Amino acid sequence: MAQPVPSTATRRDFLKLAGGAAGVAGAPWIARNVQAKPAIITFARESSYVKNFDEHFQKVMVPAYQKATGIKIDYQIQAAGGGAVPQLVSMVENKSGADLAWVQQEWLYRDALVDVSDIAEAAGKEQGGWYDEIKALSVDNGKWKSVPQANIGQCMVYRKDWFDEAGIKHFPETWDEFLEAGIKLKAKGHPYGMSMGHGFADNYSWLYPLLWSYGVTVMDKAGKKVALDTNETAKAVDFVRKLYKEACIEDCIGWLDPHNNKAFLTSQISCTNNAYSIMVSAKRDLPEMGKVIDHALNPKGPNGQRYHALVPVTHGVFAYGPDPQAAKDFLRWTMDPKQFRPWIASGDMYFAPYLHAFDKVPEWDIEPRVKPYQKVLETGKLTSWPAPANRAHGAVINRWVVIDMFSKACTGAPTKTVIAEAVAQLKQIYG
Amino acid sequence: MSEVVEASRATALAAPAHGSIRSGRLGALVQRESVFSWLMLTPPVLFLLAFLGYPFFYGVYLSFFRREVAGSASFVGLGNFVILGNDPIFWQAVRNTVLFTAVATVLKASGGLGMALVMNQSFRMKALTRASLLLPFIVPTVLSTVAWQWILDPGMGLFNRLLVVSGLAKTGPSWLGTPTMAMISIIMVNTWRGLPFFGISILAGLQTIPVELHESATIDGASTWGRFRYVTLPALLPVIFIVTTFSIILTFFDFQLVYVLTGGGPANSTHLMATYAYSLSMGAGQMGLGSAVALSMVPVLGLLLVLLTLYVRKD
Repeated sequence: MAQPVPSTATRRDFLKLAGGAAGVAGAPWIARNVQAKPAIITFARESSYVKNFDEHFQKVMVPAYQKATGIKIDYQIQAAGGGAVPQLVSMVENKSGADLAWVQQEWLYRDALVDVSDIAEAAGKEQGGWYDEIKALSVDNGKWKSVPQANIGQCMVYRKDWFDEAGIKHFPETWDEFLEAGIKLKAKGHPYGMSMGHGFADNYSWLYPLLWSYGVTVMDKAGKKVALDTNETAKAVDFVRKLYKEACIEDCIGWLDPHNNKAFLTSQISCTNNAYSIMVSAKRDLPEMGKVIDHALNPKGPNGQRYHALVPVTHGVFAYGPDPQAAKDFLRWTMDPKQFRPWIASGDMYFAPYLHAFDKVPEWDIEPRVKPYQKVLETGKLTSWPAPANRAHGAVINRWVVIDMFSKACTGAPTKTVIAEAVAQLKQIYG
Repeated sequence: MSEVVEASRATALAAPAHGSIRSGRLGALVQRESVFSWLMLTPPVLFLLAFLGYPFFYGVYLSFFRREVAGSASFVGLGNFVILGNDPIFWQAVRNTVLFTAVATVLKASGGLGMALVMNQSFRMKALTRASLLLPFIVPTVLSTVAWQWILDPGMGLFNRLLVVSGLAKTGPSWLGTPTMAMISIIMVNTWRGLPFFGISILAGLQTIPVELHESATIDGASTWGRFRYVTLPALLPVIFIVTTFSIILTFFDFQLVYVLTGGGPANSTHLMATYAYSLSMGAGQMGLGSAVALSMVPVLGLLLVLLTLYVRKD
């Protein structure tokens, strides 16, 4: 087990030196540091869809850490549904709140995070190495500013019974086949429900991979030049418009993230792009439906590739906290395989670690239908890809620039217009 | 014995006499209207300065800077406003806000007037009905809006189930899924929530109209419409004006309802200035640009406040 608190010896050595040098004048400052071990560390994290995951943390890990170190962990659960980022932004702006957190959209406040390279590099070394793509998010100027915990996989969730009924024995391999299958399913009263509203994951988790599989990226690799203005983009936009009109439920262009879950669970749609929370809910509340849900990887595009959008969970330590070192020690402790593996397992693999040591762990075999969520890591890209994951990219996501390009087309706007509007916004954002 | 009593009485009277001069002076000071009014005003003024004044002026300051979350600020003058001037989504948000405010206010004012006229009649369980009409106004907006999300659900929602079950439609409309329907839906929910404010305020106004006016109008041969047009409405105008002005302000700045129901989608068709300012500042981290959007709402608010002040002074 990793050493949980700052070494007492170091503190003593420091005190001896400081005491001798600073004398009485420095006494109050030293006194504050003598009690360097904090009584409590606040850890803010968006609530998990998997109840066991949060419970394991609170009932097993928190008491274990307190027993080992005497430090209490205050687990501040933030409401899921897009509210966490504004809360984190407020915390950073006010330099208050948590000591460490699931630092969603960390590009907004990387300067407020301490270097955690020692923790990330040690975890990588010990647990099979990191997937390369996640480094583009967590590593900034050669330093890890966050420790990746896991990916919340997003892929196709579908009703296998309805696909079978429509004569579709295997989930479509290409987007064209996906459209063809969707037309058949809609004719049978089972349309797709592909989110395109102002949500925060279920929209870009299929629209970005679709765009990429047409050979298009939003920006060039350096993040300097807009790369969206191409004929392939126009083809992708035309495809989505057709998919929406001929295969989807009308409502889906306005959907926020909970809506597709709700529509799926109420049997309104046959397929959507989502995390595996739909199956979690169905198995719990609708066991019959739970039996006929399956998952599949995103289809391949005209460039012959398939892609997935990563939804990363990364943990970072705030530099302005009263004791960042203590928070770092706690973070290091959570990444120790003794704690980390049971924690991940408690979430039924809803969270897929970016560490290769987890690629083939037996936990993936407990529910084989969940395995695609591990596979998405192989073709998973950050939404900034191939450009750096920075503030400008965050603004593109949070202003739904690419999403609205597609949804406007679905409402009837001409392809050229929607692309031109998106390009103009990108130029303004990237300056 | 009586000497003792007299002596103690004298002491008792003498003791507070000294203090009463001091408290008398203080009392006299507090009695002065100028001092007393300032004493009463100070706490709310401090509160307003701290919780409204500071954020407002900080917002004004930010709007002249390119300032990102946890980043340093660089002065850009009117740069943010120039960017907004060329931003089609900003102008779409402005158009949406004006349309949303105008239609919702007209609906609330006319509906509220109707509600008040009905509630002013005598009928059984009048008090209970009046109290229950206030419910939409009392329930926290976020809570009621989540309920509306369910009501407007295309498949399982109350509206579409009623339409299908009653045979009026084979499938109900997509209430939040198309730009036009989404705008209609948010206006409808805003109207539902704001109607009681108009209804109850106008009802209070109605009850101040002397019955004698109606009686004399009836004796003079005025019809029901005539009594409403020439007696009720003129007497209600001051209330309607003030309630409408307040309502315009509240509707213009509405945020929660749209944030919960549509997030400004689909394709920005329900983005209001408040939600756009929020998405720029808190979502995209562009604090300067978001503040500029928020500041752009101030002239409208200012104009309304001037109108309101002039009207109140005239009275």
